[in-house]
Amino acid sequence: MANSNDTSGRAVEDFLAEAEEIVDRLSTDLGTLGDCADSGECDPDLLNAIFRGAHSLKGLAGMFGFADIQQLSHNLENLLDSLRLGKIPLTNATMNILFDAMELLGSVVRGLGTGENFSSAIADAIQRLNDCATAQESGGESPLQKLGLPEKVLNSLTEYEEHRLLENVKKGRTIYSIHASFNLMSFDQDLGEITEVLKKSGEVVSTLPSASATPESMIDFEILYGTDLALDDVTGLIDRDNVEVTRIGAAASPPSAIAAGVAVAIPATAQASVPTSAPAEVSAPVGQGDDMTAKSMSRTVRVDIGKLDDLMNIVGELVLSHSIISMLATRMRLEGFSSLAIELGKAAKGLDRKLTELQKGVMEIRMIPVGQLFEKMARIVRKVSREQGKKVDLKTFGADTELDKLIIEDIADPMVHIIRNAIDHGLETTEERVAAGKPERGTIRLSSYQKGNHVVIEVSDDGHGFNIEKVKKKALEKGLIKTLEGVSDREALDFIFLPGFSTADKVSELSGRGVGMDVVKNNIAAVSGMVDIESIFGQGSKVIITLPITLAIIKALLVSTAGRTYALPITSVLETIIVTENDIDTVERKEVYQLRQTTLPLVRLERFFGVPRTKPDSAEFYVVVVGVAEKRLGVIVDDLMGQQDIVIKSLGDMFKGYRGITGAADLGDQRTILVLDVGGIIGEAFRSGG
Amino acid sequence: MKKILIAEDSSTMRSLLVATIESLGGYLVSEAASGFEALRLLPREPVDLIITDINMPDINGLELVSFVRGSENYRHIPLFIISTEGSERDREKGLALGANEYLVKPFDPARLQELIKQYTA
Repeated sequence: MANSNDTSGRAVEDFLAEAEEIVDRLSTDLGTLGDCADSGECDPDLLNAIFRGAHSLKGLAGMFGFADIQQLSHNLENLLDSLRLGKIPLTNATMNILFDAMELLGSVVRGLGTGENFSSAIADAIQRLNDCATAQESGGESPLQKLGLPEKVLNSLTEYEEHRLLENVKKGRTIYSIHASFNLMSFDQDLGEITEVLKKSGEVVSTLPSASATPESMIDFEILYGTDLALDDVTGLIDRDNVEVTRIGAAASPPSAIAAGVAVAIPATAQASVPTSAPAEVSAPVGQGDDMTAKSMSRTVRVDIGKLDDLMNIVGELVLSHSIISMLATRMRLEGFSSLAIELGKAAKGLDRKLTELQKGVMEIRMIPVGQLFEKMARIVRKVSREQGKKVDLKTFGADTELDKLIIEDIADPMVHIIRNAIDHGLETTEERVAAGKPERGTIRLSSYQKGNHVVIEVSDDGHGFNIEKVKKKALEKGLIKTLEGVSDREALDFIFLPGFSTADKVSELSGRGVGMDVVKNNIAAVSGMVDIESIFGQGSKVIITLPITLAIIKALLVSTAGRTYALPITSVLETIIVTENDIDTVERKEVYQLRQTTLPLVRLERFFGVPRTKPDSAEFYVVVVGVAEKRLGVIVDDLMGQQDIVIKSLGDMFKGYRGITGAADLGDQRTILVLDVGGIIGEAFRSGG
Repeated sequence: MKKILIAEDSSTMRSLLVATIESLGGYLVSEAASGFEALRLLPREPVDLIITDINMPDINGLELVSFVRGSENYRHIPLFIISTEGSERDREKGLALGANEYLVKPFDPARLQELIKQYTA
């Protein structure tokens, strides 16, 4: 370790945050690189950016003494270096090695501190990276001297830039030196504009700054540019007073002169559009140049989500304090302190408004667009489709829908599983698709939208869908049902969420093994989410995940039964209905209710908790329909008391064994009530109900 | 107070460099996240030492060294390159261009502090 004093917890956190950012960006870039590896023509800037990412990570890991990350990224960097220097070709086999190494790198970074041991996997990956990097290393390179570059320029080229220069020469491109002189105040913008334009018709190999000989307020740049364009065309591209273009090296050989002549025809149109398109790009820059501006103009801060949790808790307590104040105000008014009471009431209202804003503000800080999740999923789609040899298009919708960061993190794993399932089991092989009259390429759709206090994420595929009859047969085989009769298609699809249930004919390495949809369901239920499946045989399936927007402060439905009040998180409440004793049927000694063609199992809350009734049951009562994952249950209560924001407090370890209770909440009128754990109640009800 | 300019695109690496320098006492640090930013910061105030990375998105460290050594105003400023061990040629070029020291990441904070004191004395 470099210096144990510097490596404080805070610094390590910084490292983790930056390392994760690098790994995420690398994975995305690698995905893009993988797409162009097939065609063989890749953007050298992209490859270089990936190299730089691995390089930064290696440096950082070294500083913090994370030897395994350092080693892995060192070997990754070596391979990437060989690739960017053109020492080895970019093939699909190499891409696979890179993908695997990058995925491992991500796991190791995210696994820091969990004590998980990756050493054998790392040793493996390093071996593969090394084999690949050394396999085809070629000899020395031809010298650049014959280009006749000024020594000053030649001396400040990195090895990579020398290689790019040679590549351009090899391609028969002409090398130009573009000398530009800019004001010190605005050089980055001016230079950015020029390079953007240049990049469209060639490659900017290097940019060498030098102090201007003339006024001190100016700065000069020597840009090395490789292109098929002729001198006049390059000059035409950048029509500025302070820019001079010179051609470097000996006259181009005849074949490249012809190539230049042909090439001009195409960029000629691009050239015509330059004056209008260039200014627009300055305000919304794309490409590599904006890395620099984005950094220097960034107005964001990185916040530990724990701090936001604390803040949210304080807001929650303020909300409660407000409830107490407004209740006192009401009581005062009733007891006759009228003018004071009215003023207090007004003040409480004002406080309420501000608190709502504060709560919203804090919540918004935690919100990130699901697009970040979609990007990760895009990588999974690429990876799995490659492994499976299936052609898959990914379409995303609603990437800017926002969701609590913690929820997004928690559903990433279930999403990966759903997507793997969709590609592995859902989509047919190319031959099967063609035979079925479907397009050769399968489509996975990821969409997200907000629906009230929920965010819905849907994953759909246009594969063969579920064979419901097969699902039912499997359920019968496994003894989940006694007869096929009376099992609706809807109910049959729910079997998919049962542990150990798989309709895959063969257990695939991808998704058939180990974890199943039951794990997906549990993980989603853990963040108070629900999951559903829709499927049309022959046309595809859709997995629908419904999530609460945030977890910190929740809206609850207050209910009372046998004289006690409980809170039901509104995220699990689907609807409420009024029923009478006559509406209730009994199936196998369990109470049920027929709700729109489905049989809803019922639970009487007071019986569930064993609370004695002092008064007889009323003839009319409420059923709160709750759902977690795909399960639905009707909870019978005496009365509904309206919605309220509550902050769930843990009951501590002593109450851990109590099923059906997730915590307690203060109601603000000195009353503490229990918050029901809908998942627990459902689990218990279904366990005892069979 | 002596002034040190750091050009380095990794924010965490910058914080480590800043921490290492500031713990010496008597030094102020300006941070540039790219070669461009370094070019913009240089004319703003006198600098006593420059520390630069090689691999940066816009202008690389070698180009920065070349700029500094070629300029009337800055050529006397001591300059360290700090980069991961890698291309021997980049290292040689850096020193040939006039970098005073080449440090390898992960750098040894004590060694860096010693060099800083030596070059800014």
